[in-house]
Amino acid sequence: MASASTGPHPVPADAPAAAVSVQGLRKVINDRVVLNDLDFAIPRGSMFALLGANGAGKSTLLKILAGLMPPTGGRVHLFGAPLAGHAADLRSRIGFLGHNAMLYRELSARENLVFFGRMHGLADVGRRAEDLLEQLGLADRMHDPVKAFSRGMLQRAAIARALLCDPELLLADEPFTGLDAPSARTLEALLRSLHAQGRTIVFTNHDVAQSIALATSVDAVGHGGVFVLGHGRLIINQHARLLDAAMVHLEMSDR
Amino acid sequence: MTTTLGRIMLLVAKDLRIEARGRQTIAIVLVLGILIIVVLGIGFGSPGSSGQPVTGFQATAILWVAYFFGGVLCFEKTMDVERRDDALAGLLMTPVDRGAIYVAKLLTNLTLIAGLTIVITPLAVMFFRFDLAGHAGAFVAILALGMVGFAAIGTLFAAAASSTRLQGGLLAMLVFPLCLPVVIVSTQMMRELFLPGGQLSMPGLALLAGFDLMALTVGWLVFEQVLEP
Amino acid sequence: MNRTPTLTGHGPWNARWGTVGMQRLSAHLVRAYWLVTAALFVAVILMLVLYTPVDRGMGPVQKIFYLHLPVAISGFLAAFVVFIASVGYLWSRSMWWDDLAAAAGKVAVLYCAVILLTGMFWGRSAWGVWWTWSPRLTFSLVLFLLYAVYVLIRPTIDSAERRAVICAVYGIIAFLDVPLVYLSVRLIPDIHPSSISLEPAMRLSLLAWFPPVVMLMAGMIGTRYALNRRLRSAEAGRFSEAPSAGAAIRVSAAGGHP
Repeated sequence: MASASTGPHPVPADAPAAAVSVQGLRKVINDRVVLNDLDFAIPRGSMFALLGANGAGKSTLLKILAGLMPPTGGRVHLFGAPLAGHAADLRSRIGFLGHNAMLYRELSARENLVFFGRMHGLADVGRRAEDLLEQLGLADRMHDPVKAFSRGMLQRAAIARALLCDPELLLADEPFTGLDAPSARTLEALLRSLHAQGRTIVFTNHDVAQSIALATSVDAVGHGGVFVLGHGRLIINQHARLLDAAMVHLEMSDR
Repeated sequence: MTTTLGRIMLLVAKDLRIEARGRQTIAIVLVLGILIIVVLGIGFGSPGSSGQPVTGFQATAILWVAYFFGGVLCFEKTMDVERRDDALAGLLMTPVDRGAIYVAKLLTNLTLIAGLTIVITPLAVMFFRFDLAGHAGAFVAILALGMVGFAAIGTLFAAAASSTRLQGGLLAMLVFPLCLPVVIVSTQMMRELFLPGGQLSMPGLALLAGFDLMALTVGWLVFEQVLEP
Repeated sequence: MNRTPTLTGHGPWNARWGTVGMQRLSAHLVRAYWLVTAALFVAVILMLVLYTPVDRGMGPVQKIFYLHLPVAISGFLAAFVVFIASVGYLWSRSMWWDDLAAAAGKVAVLYCAVILLTGMFWGRSAWGVWWTWSPRLTFSLVLFLLYAVYVLIRPTIDSAERRAVICAVYGIIAFLDVPLVYLSVRLIPDIHPSSISLEPAMRLSLLAWFPPVVMLMAGMIGTRYALNRRLRSAEAGRFSEAPSAGAAIRVSAAGGHP
């Protein structure tokens, strides 16, 4: 149904330059269509926000991009290589930040990072883990078990895990949820600096205004459609989805 | 550069380190095993009063019930470690082979089950006065071969069921019927062993090994499909 | 991982039932199939009563055997269908394989129950007890348990995908267990040796029982499979036909309530 979409992105969907390109992506979970014929591309080096309500399929989309979940149909290319079949090679180029910390809570932050670093096959993991924890302000707590961490510290430890393999693409699922204002500002600054280093960042967010401020482009995942927005300017690439996109627009102008 | 074997060892070391920190699995598994032995002991009564030691047949029944229920709880608990805080997703984001995760989890489970048997078996011998001493080697061989197949099936289904509500008794319900060949073969082997002049049954050993081979092959092949964060 | 899974991917039978004319034709075929099966059953029962000689040793109870063996072999075939459908599901991730496995699983349990019951009747008249741990009875009991659990565990798993995966793995291992169970029960000492020698007329009766029993099995799997397909597409329809206006409201809620 969305095959005729003319994307506003300067990069064609199948160009190797695109960090992520998705064609006809479909995901059905428990007989429910969660993602329906998604087509979009994310250029390299962009900061990309995905908007959508709870249950709209944002997390599912990120999990599929991370290779944690197989799509029901359609194709996903990361850095020009198909995700299916190259999943293991691509995994070390992706950092994934999920709802949960994805750390073993009985182990200390350093032990966690060293373990995951070894699984990635990194050299000199101890140094790398300590450097990252220092950058994220966890140096003095790195020998404490993760279960003793506050939500903000846990999030920082999770970021350290996601950045371990020096990923070109960072996928972050609701990274701002549950953070207090100072932590959120720190995270925002961190994401900006990662973006400035040339990494591609894809994140989901409830907060439309914050997303617009942060992102170079914003997408909303609705019921089976993607709406592409650029810097507060609404671009509708699917006529059928006009109403949905207009609602997003209204919300934005309220702010 | 880490090889698959190295990664398996790292995974097992990680599991055992977590276990050493909390001792959450082994403690609960041991308590369950001991409870089962005690309940059966009360049921059978003191062998001292009748003076009749328990036969090999009953001995296997008693031990196998304790090992199997303790084992299923163990499979569930060691998989819980991966599910808490979604650590499994973090693991799956690394380029590690899914088969290696299966083998590592299996080795962890076998280590913990070995711990269980080391505590439970002498306790049962004391309670029920089995005569295991004469057949210690054969007993260990039957037990080891039986537990590999049991753990291979249990690890697979614990991973499959961990993202559903299918836990507790229901996991046991999946694992037990599939492991009935192990029960039949090992009880028959033990019975033969306890007969006067009894020997280790070679066809029995071959059957146990065949079951292990089947369970390990299927587990290795389908584990990737079964894992879903 | 080059599979293109479909949710309501059409099974071969549904595809053929596409047009109304074909549907009417297949309805006739189904009716004809059941009529033939029923007629065959009447014929073999009459044959059993009128033609088949009575066994000298065991008397008329021996006639259970003509039902017992064909049911045992068709039950094994049903278990094989579960196995094939389970492998098919894991390979293709198409839900219709799961529906086929579920259908065959139910029939396998039913047939295993018949094997077990006829075996118990046999044991009652041959050895005077309903139950002994003889190799054959143990074998049929284990088989029955294996597939009874398969059927019972299905509805306890809420997620359709998880259910299909877990049951597929179970279905594969259960079938691979069958030869292992068969070999392992032979370690049990058989205190009741029973060998059956058949006269030519008896052999003919035995052969005659195979077609109706196998047809009943295949027919039940087919009926059950068609029912499962209809249930699943009804379920899928409920979700996929959600109006797009609902989606619009949900999208708007994203900004409003973080």
